[in-house]
Amino acid sequence: CKKQLTEEPHSILTPEFFRTTQGFKKGLDAAYAGTRMLWGTQNLFTMTVIGTDEFYTGKDGNNDINKYNSNYNTSNGTVAAVWKECYVHINTCNGIIENAPQVTGIDEQLKSRMVAEAKFLRANYYFLLVQFWGDVTLNKTFQTAATTAASRNSLAEVYEFIINDLKEVIATPALFVGPKAAGVRPGQANKAAALHVLAKVYLTRAGSAAKKATDYTDAYTNAMEVINNSGLSLLPDFGQVYAEGNEGSNEVLWSVQHTPNLAYNGPNNSGGADNVLNHMWVPQYELQPGMMRDVFYGRPYIRCVPTPWLTNTAFQERVNDTRYKKTFQTVWYCNNAASIPVWTAPLPAGAPASAVVGKPKFALGDTAIFMPGKDVTNAQIAASRYLLIPPRNYTTSLSPYMQKYNDTKRADLNYPSIRSVIVYRLGETYLIAAEAAFMGGASAADAVNNLNMIRRRAAFPNPNPELMNVSSIPSLDFILDERSRELCGELTRWLDLVRTGKLEERVKLYNNEAKGNIKPFHVLRPIPQSQIDATTTGAAYPQNAGWF
Amino acid sequence: KHPLTDRPFYGKVPERNSFVVKGKVGDADGTLPSVMVKLKGTDIRTSTDENGNYSLTIPEGSGTLVYSSIGYLVQEVPVNNRNTINVTLVAENKTLTEVIVVGYGTQRKSDITGSIVSVNEKALREVPVANLSQALQGKGAGIDIQKGGGNSKPGASPVIRIRGVRSISADNGPLFVVDGIPFNGNINDLNPDDVVSLEVLKDASSTAIYGSRGANGVILVSTKRGALGTPVVTYSGYAGFTKNLGEVNVMNGPQFTDLKKWAVVNGNYVDGKPKYTGIDDPRLLTDGIFAAEELEGIKSGRSTNWQDLIYKTGLNTNHQVGVSGGVEKTQYAVSAGYHNETGIYPGQAFERFSVKASFDQQLGKIVKVGLSSLNTYNTTRGEGANPMGQVLRASPLTIPYDKNGTLLGFVPGSANQVWNPLADFVPGAKEENRKRFGTFTTLYVDVKLAEGFKYKFNAGTEIKSDNYGNFYGSATSNNLGGLSTSSNRNSFRSNYTLENILTYDKTFATHHRLNLTGLFSFQESLSQSNRFNNSDIASELLYYNPTFGANLTGSGDYEKWAIVSYMGRLNYGYKNKYLMTLTMRSDGSSRLAPGSKYQLFPSAALAWNVLEESFMKGVKAVSNLKIRGSYGRVGNTAIDAYQTLGSLGSAVYNFGDQTTTGVYLANVVNPGLKWEYTTTANIGVDFGLFDNRISGSVEAYKSFTEDLLLPQNLPATSGIPNAILTNVGKTENKGLEFQISTVNIKGDGKKEFSWTSDVNVFINRGKITALQENVINDITNSRFVGQPIGTIYDYRRLGIWQNTPADSALARSLGLSLSGTGSVIGNIKVDNANTTPTAAGDQRINADDRVFIGSSQPKWSGGFTNRIAYKNFDFTVVAFGRFGSTIVSRVHNSGFANTFQGNYNNLNVNYWTPTNNENYWPKPNAASTNTPNNSTLGYFDGTFVKIRSLTLGYVLPSSVLTRIGGKSLRIYATANDAFILFSKYRNKYSGIDPEAIGSDNNRGDVNVDTPAAYSIIFGLNMTL
Repeated sequence: CKKQLTEEPHSILTPEFFRTTQGFKKGLDAAYAGTRMLWGTQNLFTMTVIGTDEFYTGKDGNNDINKYNSNYNTSNGTVAAVWKECYVHINTCNGIIENAPQVTGIDEQLKSRMVAEAKFLRANYYFLLVQFWGDVTLNKTFQTAATTAASRNSLAEVYEFIINDLKEVIATPALFVGPKAAGVRPGQANKAAALHVLAKVYLTRAGSAAKKATDYTDAYTNAMEVINNSGLSLLPDFGQVYAEGNEGSNEVLWSVQHTPNLAYNGPNNSGGADNVLNHMWVPQYELQPGMMRDVFYGRPYIRCVPTPWLTNTAFQERVNDTRYKKTFQTVWYCNNAASIPVWTAPLPAGAPASAVVGKPKFALGDTAIFMPGKDVTNAQIAASRYLLIPPRNYTTSLSPYMQKYNDTKRADLNYPSIRSVIVYRLGETYLIAAEAAFMGGASAADAVNNLNMIRRRAAFPNPNPELMNVSSIPSLDFILDERSRELCGELTRWLDLVRTGKLEERVKLYNNEAKGNIKPFHVLRPIPQSQIDATTTGAAYPQNAGWF
Repeated sequence: KHPLTDRPFYGKVPERNSFVVKGKVGDADGTLPSVMVKLKGTDIRTSTDENGNYSLTIPEGSGTLVYSSIGYLVQEVPVNNRNTINVTLVAENKTLTEVIVVGYGTQRKSDITGSIVSVNEKALREVPVANLSQALQGKGAGIDIQKGGGNSKPGASPVIRIRGVRSISADNGPLFVVDGIPFNGNINDLNPDDVVSLEVLKDASSTAIYGSRGANGVILVSTKRGALGTPVVTYSGYAGFTKNLGEVNVMNGPQFTDLKKWAVVNGNYVDGKPKYTGIDDPRLLTDGIFAAEELEGIKSGRSTNWQDLIYKTGLNTNHQVGVSGGVEKTQYAVSAGYHNETGIYPGQAFERFSVKASFDQQLGKIVKVGLSSLNTYNTTRGEGANPMGQVLRASPLTIPYDKNGTLLGFVPGSANQVWNPLADFVPGAKEENRKRFGTFTTLYVDVKLAEGFKYKFNAGTEIKSDNYGNFYGSATSNNLGGLSTSSNRNSFRSNYTLENILTYDKTFATHHRLNLTGLFSFQESLSQSNRFNNSDIASELLYYNPTFGANLTGSGDYEKWAIVSYMGRLNYGYKNKYLMTLTMRSDGSSRLAPGSKYQLFPSAALAWNVLEESFMKGVKAVSNLKIRGSYGRVGNTAIDAYQTLGSLGSAVYNFGDQTTTGVYLANVVNPGLKWEYTTTANIGVDFGLFDNRISGSVEAYKSFTEDLLLPQNLPATSGIPNAILTNVGKTENKGLEFQISTVNIKGDGKKEFSWTSDVNVFINRGKITALQENVINDITNSRFVGQPIGTIYDYRRLGIWQNTPADSALARSLGLSLSGTGSVIGNIKVDNANTTPTAAGDQRINADDRVFIGSSQPKWSGGFTNRIAYKNFDFTVVAFGRFGSTIVSRVHNSGFANTFQGNYNNLNVNYWTPTNNENYWPKPNAASTNTPNNSTLGYFDGTFVKIRSLTLGYVLPSSVLTRIGGKSLRIYATANDAFILFSKYRNKYSGIDPEAIGSDNNRGDVNVDTPAAYSIIFGLNMTL
């Protein structure tokens, strides 16, 4: 009977498998797959894009977290999800790194590269944790038993650990030098990406309580190493950086992969790992005359809309700087013959000569919605054949559409994006170098030079890009403004504002819905209540200041 | 002439003078066919013909004849050289000799020490049903049976709860044991027509012998077997129709137009002022608020009733043919059945074919063997089909077709959220089929080892195959115009049980009766399944073959478990007066970790037959009185196989177009896991008064469930994503049960009027007494210490914020907005229950103001069966009811048809407007997706009484029968589920059927699903 009562599973894998050679390889795949639970999801989007000076809640957003109101509390599900995902995948990385010495039957070179990749991923997960929460639990080893005790390690210790990981990654000879190296697979960790992250980690630590005197210099040095030696270069046209299908361009250091293979990409196939960024910014164009929902214009999730500061002030310069029109969609062409409006009597003053009472205002394919980006009179609006929306009429359901993540190649309009998410790109490396130099890591000229690299590219195809040059950087705010023009929407803004100590100040200045609520303690996310509740052994898990 | 009456059965030709005895056998009412007449001590025998006549040739005129027939006392008559012997048999006194099935054996009813509800064949046949659980509704105290989530689809299995709910995350369903063998299959795999009795074991004494599987009660199912006598051919059949029991009351065209206008008026403000002057503002018709098709509908006065477009009449038919019979050493019963019902939507159906055969054979004097095989094949169509969400939301101003008569996709005017429900019914648009084949075969060998000492080998095997496939076209509510999808799943399960049972039955010194039962059993179950899903299928006809589709994915499962059990039972009786039962079971399970695989389940019961006492001799009014009590422990095996081993999760990634599947640690090893167990104490009194004109029982019980399986969340920093299952929680249940049968008017039901009633009333109070991690209120999972499982925790609805100075002042003090689209005036007003000031010192309505609203646990429940017979007519009413539970109507509170947003059609309610100060239903508001606090609109008193069935039958007189050559023929008409009484939910708030329980969360959730239906059927039962 004893034998009959012994279990022998055939459709599940038990933890022992993780220690085998095959388990070692599949573990690394899972550690990569974990990145998909963050970059591309609504959770990380919500925590980095909205509630900043750039974007606030759209009609269907309803995110307390982005309004910093009293319903944004320690039970917030978005915050808890990101917290949890990071720790699950850190444990996977820990398992790979810890088991590596015992794993046999695998080339040592390959093994060292795989360990470096796991450390790269671990550093990224910890980097998110430390930026959002400050002091966090530092697991250095593989957790295989149920534990209900936990404590927090100091910011300094966590940063030290991340930097150490990245240094080891960079020093691994077997690691691919860059995303364009021979044999590298799309999305794979590489030395250039690690240098970029290291630069950003130094820059961020420099803005934290754990700062060290050498941080800005180290940030600058590592960023310049990427700029000078990675073999990557800025694309000539800013508009090409986020063009569909260009996610592996010469400017991209590291991306999180998504796939057009519908077997593994929603709906219902991905278990929360979908890239839904394509939906987040789409406004409610579909209810306007002459329009209906389609794959090309996307599904209106209306999670956020740009703040007036972003569209009207940050992007004020639109002649030499082409980034406004490359970042925002402001014209929609009629795609629904059934809902084309007709002219009604009496015809408005100033109506076009072709206007005839009872006849359609426009035809299929004509402009149906236009946002000129500057003010027009009410008479002009009334006389317009299409819907004319000046900035004063932007609403939380319809305003310029931040189109970097637009995806027109999906199988159906409800489907998530098939595009990979660019996490680090060379454009940002220049801005990191500029910021590090400006903050004292190098000379003022180094700061200006790096900044102007980005600004000149923004002029394309204008014949005289030098017009974009600035001769000096007046303030840190100017760098933040430049980051908005270059990087707005790219899942980094909230962290940039925290790093530069500008979150509260700039939200109060530019974000109408949040300015009355934001408090100094909002620079850290609350420790999820579930973490505190489940820590039942030993000392209580400490909450961040200001949260209860 | 009957073949058996012609000659002695075993053809033993008399050597000397033969002696012939003839005669007639009857009972008080007339002649009796099929009575066995036998010369005592020989094999010479015969049986009576249809008219009760017999003729038997015996060697000489001495000896004794034995007359026997089921249901009658055996009579012995010495021949004394008479050639004619007429005999009148006396019916058995049921209460004394009635034998009922108990775990691993049978017992005289008078010897029972535990708490058992027995439902006999007659009672089972009173409600013609598709499955056994439906037949049990209202039939016994402590047995609560309701539709799962209110699901009324053909082939749906109701949820059974015996004596309340005790497990939080584990299964609360009872164990079914069919012909002695645990049955793991679907209740739909048993044909109710093959079943002759059900015994529901409720207390620990009767269930403890099922050890780790007894905690939720045990239902013993006995199937038909052959009996001694001439072959009997039976046919029973019925046919009828099913209709929806009403419609959900949604708005018609003009009503919806007004609602939508109000929603837009209330939901649009410019610079703090209303954008529209009121619902008569002409801009409401020109501002793109209504879709073009809707405007057309307003103009033409259109009012589409989408429900009428989809409901149809379902059909319902059932046939069963059986032959049974037997001679002294061989008995058999063979039957075949067919059942088919179609639903009230197109595409829903349940069909079952069944064949059953049983044989029992005596081999020599000491060995008896038998076999019974139940085989069913059934198909269920459209089990997931649920167009209600679309039907209730579709705008009544539109029609399902465009100008050219082509079926539309999205219904116009509903924000591209409502797919045309009729598109699902286009032939070929949607297929969903489940085919199940199952065989359940049991075999026994009975060996008489010595006087009173028996060995029984009982073996059973269950083999099931289940094939599920679906196809959803592009233009269906499943895919909303996206790619077509399909999936296929095959699963196979085999399961066998081997039991060795030794029994020793002996009476010592006249008064001491002893029965010992010992059991060793082994059960092993294996199941495996795999499925594939794909999309973009080339043609709907190809959904069994993924080759022509795209995006193929698959998954599979394998599970094997075994239980080794030892059980011992001692029954002891002294003078039939004092009875005792002691049992002990030990279960060893593969599913637990090494070292803790075995667990013991003991129980004890005592009973006192007071009537046997000398002091009761003079008390003529009392015809039965027994007091009994039991105490014991039973378990719940709700741990899945491999759960103690830990497991890895899978995660898919791709490097460019190179797809990989990674693994990560998802569940850690938990070697300490063990069964949940329940300790129950039970006290009961069985009584009979006035020659059992009134009989019944009263029971009281209390049970404690401990080591409840609850997932314990680990801190996220542990890096282990999944909760670890641990034994931490506790629950308690206590209850009272009354079961009374009365003979209100005693008569034979033929010449005299007869009327009998069965009533049961039961009360159960359950509550959680401990949760994981010392949690008191686990709000996320709706689990609260001190409250029953299935409790609702939410704001208490007080009414509607009115435009009065008092309400405005209150709203202002709570910090609620009084202007613009967010104004609370006209919204649902909830109770600021927690008046303790918050840390900030202000009074706000927040999560702390939620209170316990109610639970699915009723104050009391009951069932009521009345049987009236007169002349050849019989009339039966079966009713059951639940009183004082709280249900959650998803129809009223989910984001479907009661959002008040105006995007979708709405329930037709008297909503608040500035001129209509309604205090129940809120104002429409286009600015909020759901009216705030909409969840509070779904709570209703779940009280109801349901007339489960009304049956009028007529037995054809024998004069007519003889002409057509039958033995008996009864025709009947039944109305099933036709009336629901005392339900405010139904009568006042236009709900349809309050009968619902969630099989997982045990809340009384009425889902937005196929509405309840009633059926009218006509049938006949015939014996040839």
